[in-house]
Amino acid sequence: MIKWMRLALRNILRNKRRSLVTLLAIAVGFAAISLFRGYTSNMYSGLKTMAIRGEGLGHLTIFKAGWLEKGKLDPEKYMFSKSEIEKISKLVTDESGVVLATPQINLSGIVSNGTVSTIFIAQGVVPRDDRTIKGDWAAFRPIKGEGLNEEKSYGVEMSQDLAGFLNLTSDKDGVVMAPTLGGQMNALDIHVSGVYDTGSDATNDKYMRLSFNFAQSLLDTEKTDRIVVLLEDTEKTGKMRKLLLAKLTSAGIACEIKTWNELSLFYSKARGMIDMMFLFIFCIVLVIVVMSTVNTMGMAVLERTREIGTLRALGLKRRGISMLFAMEGGLLGLLGSLIGAALHVCVWAVIRAIKPTYTPPGVSTPVPLTVDFVLQALVLLSICLVILSLIAAIIPAKRAARQNIVNALGHT
Amino acid sequence: MSLIEMQNIKKDYHLGETVVHALQGIDLEIYTGEFVAIWGPSGSGKTTLLNLIGAIDEPTEGNLVIAGTDVHSLSDNRKSELRNETIGYVFQGFNLVPVLSALENVMLPLQIKGTPSKEAKEKALYRLQEVGLTEFIHHRPAKMSGGQQQRVAIARALVNDPSLVIADEPTANLDSETARMIISIMRDLNEKDTITFIFSTHDQRLLDRVKRLVRLEDGRIIDGGNPLTGTDVSHGTHNVSVLNSSHSEREGEVLTAWPVEGATPLRGQTQAPLTNGGQS
Repeated sequence: MIKWMRLALRNILRNKRRSLVTLLAIAVGFAAISLFRGYTSNMYSGLKTMAIRGEGLGHLTIFKAGWLEKGKLDPEKYMFSKSEIEKISKLVTDESGVVLATPQINLSGIVSNGTVSTIFIAQGVVPRDDRTIKGDWAAFRPIKGEGLNEEKSYGVEMSQDLAGFLNLTSDKDGVVMAPTLGGQMNALDIHVSGVYDTGSDATNDKYMRLSFNFAQSLLDTEKTDRIVVLLEDTEKTGKMRKLLLAKLTSAGIACEIKTWNELSLFYSKARGMIDMMFLFIFCIVLVIVVMSTVNTMGMAVLERTREIGTLRALGLKRRGISMLFAMEGGLLGLLGSLIGAALHVCVWAVIRAIKPTYTPPGVSTPVPLTVDFVLQALVLLSICLVILSLIAAIIPAKRAARQNIVNALGHT
Repeated sequence: MSLIEMQNIKKDYHLGETVVHALQGIDLEIYTGEFVAIWGPSGSGKTTLLNLIGAIDEPTEGNLVIAGTDVHSLSDNRKSELRNETIGYVFQGFNLVPVLSALENVMLPLQIKGTPSKEAKEKALYRLQEVGLTEFIHHRPAKMSGGQQQRVAIARALVNDPSLVIADEPTANLDSETARMIISIMRDLNEKDTITFIFSTHDQRLLDRVKRLVRLEDGRIIDGGNPLTGTDVSHGTHNVSVLNSSHSEREGEVLTAWPVEGATPLRGQTQAPLTNGGQS
C-alpha cells in the first residue's frame, strides 16, 4: 500500500501547478469552513451563556403543569404555592450536580417617574441566587450604580433606554403599577438602584429587574410561576430534566420542565439561522472541492491514458487503476486539508492578536469577533474532505479503469 | 511444447460504418523457447496479432490458447493475472512510468503481483544487471537514452520470469546500432532462460537475428516474398514456417507454422512449407 501511496504522491507532484491550484482550492475551502465553524462555535457558546446566565434562565425551569398553556388566563391556579416552592427547592437541590433552585416571577406593568409613564416587562429574582446564576457573566453587562440586594427590596435595575426615556438615573425614585393576581391595580414606589444595558435594542427600552419579594408584593401573592434550576454541567441538562421530572412527579407535584434552549427563543432562532448559513457555505465549498478534484483527476486520466494502458498490460487490474487514482484524489484532499489547517491556525492567531469587534444587528454594543479553535471540527472536516476528494476522484478513476487497453496504449 | 495456439483468428475494427478486417483467419502455433519475429509492412496486422497474443485484445472470431489457457473464457481479472504472471511486454515507445526510477519501473510487475518489496528489489536488480544497467537504477526515464529506456523495459518484461515476452516494434525508436544491441540482448536472454520472445518489426536489418520469421500481409500469414523463402537467416536466408489459410486452400492442404530448430509441429500433417529449404 505504501508503495502505491508513494506512486500516487509522485503523480500528484507531476503537474505541480495544477496540483497546487487544486490544493489551494481545498485548503482555502477548508480554512473558510473551519474558521466559520470556529466563529459559530464561539457564537453558540456566547448565546448559550447569555441565555443561561444573562437571561437568568438557568439550565432548567420548572413550571406547574398547565402554566405554559393556560397560566396567563388563570395565573393563581397555575402558580406554585409557598409550600410547593419550598418542597420543590429541597427535592431539587438534594440532587448532586444541582447548584441551586430559585423562584422567579415574570411580570409586566407601567412604570412612571411621576410625570411620564410607560410599559415595562420585569423579572423578579432572588438577588443572591441571581448573582450566583450570573456568575462571571455579570462582567459583560456592567450596571451603572448598584445591583439588586436583599436589604433594599424596592430597589430595581432598569434598562438604559427605559431609564433614559423616564429621565431616571441610579438613585432616583419612581413608581411601578401592575395588576395583582386578584385583578386589582397595585402601585409601589421604586428606587432605581442601577441602570444596565440588556445588549439588545429590542429590550433596552422596557426591561426591569426586581427583587423576588418586591415582585410578589406588586402582584400581591406568595406564589411564583417558575423555579429556575442551575446545574454544574450544561451537558447534563437533558439527563437532569428526566431525573427531576420523575422525582417531582413521584413526589406528587404535577409539573413540566423546560430546558434553557427551549425557553430561549433567541438562541434557537439564531442558531437555526447560523446553522443554515454554515450549511450553505459548506455546500459551496464542497462543490468547489469536488469540482477541483474531478477536474484535476480528469486531466490526469487524460494525460496518463497511455500509462494506464501500460499498467493494465503489466497486469494491474481495473480495481487497481481505480484505487490508484482514488488514492491520488484522497491524497489531494489530505494535503489540502493539512494546508487548510495551517491556514486556519494562522488566521486564528491573527484574529486573537488584533481582537476585532463588530456590532451585530439589534445589539447595542460592539462584540468581539472571536474564533474558537475546535480541534474536533478540524479533524472531522479533514476526514470529510479526504473522503469527498476520494469520491470525486472515483468518477475519473472508474473511467480510467474502463478504458480499452489497446486504445489506451495507442493514445498520444 | 506449444505456448501459443491460434485457430482461425479474425479481428475486425469498426471505423464508423466501415469494417476493417485487421486479421483474416490466422492459424499459428508458437513453441516454448522460440525467438519469433512477426514481419510485415505497416498495416499488415502485426500489432493486432501481438495484442491478441498478449491478451490485451479480444479476437472477433477464433480460438486463442496461451500456456494451455483458453483466453476467451477468462474474466478480465484472470486475464490481468495471466498478463502479469505469464507475459512480459516491451513497447515501441518504452512506456516507462516517468515518476519512477529504473529500479522502481522494473519492480512494478512484481508489486502488482504483490511480491514483498525486498524480494522484488532483488529480482529487479538482477534483471537490470542482466541488461547492463546497474549504474542507472536510480535514474528516472527522462534522464536515460532511448536504448537505456528500452533495456529497462526489457528488464521489466522479464522480472516476473514470464513464459513469453512480447515486443511490439521494440527497435522502432532506436538507431540501428542500439536496435541491434536490443535484439542481441533479447536473443541472449531467450537462449539463456528459454523464454519465448515474439516481436514485431518492419526493419529487415534485424531479421538475420531471429530464429523464426512469420510474415504478415493484409491480415494474413503468407509465405510469399523474400522471407518466405524459408532460408535460415543465420546463413543469409530466412528460416520461416507459416500457415496461411487462403494459401492453404490454394494448395489444398492444411499447413501449420512451426519452428525450424528441430521443433515438431503440433498441427498440420505436412512439412511441405519447409520444402523452401528452411533447414538448410
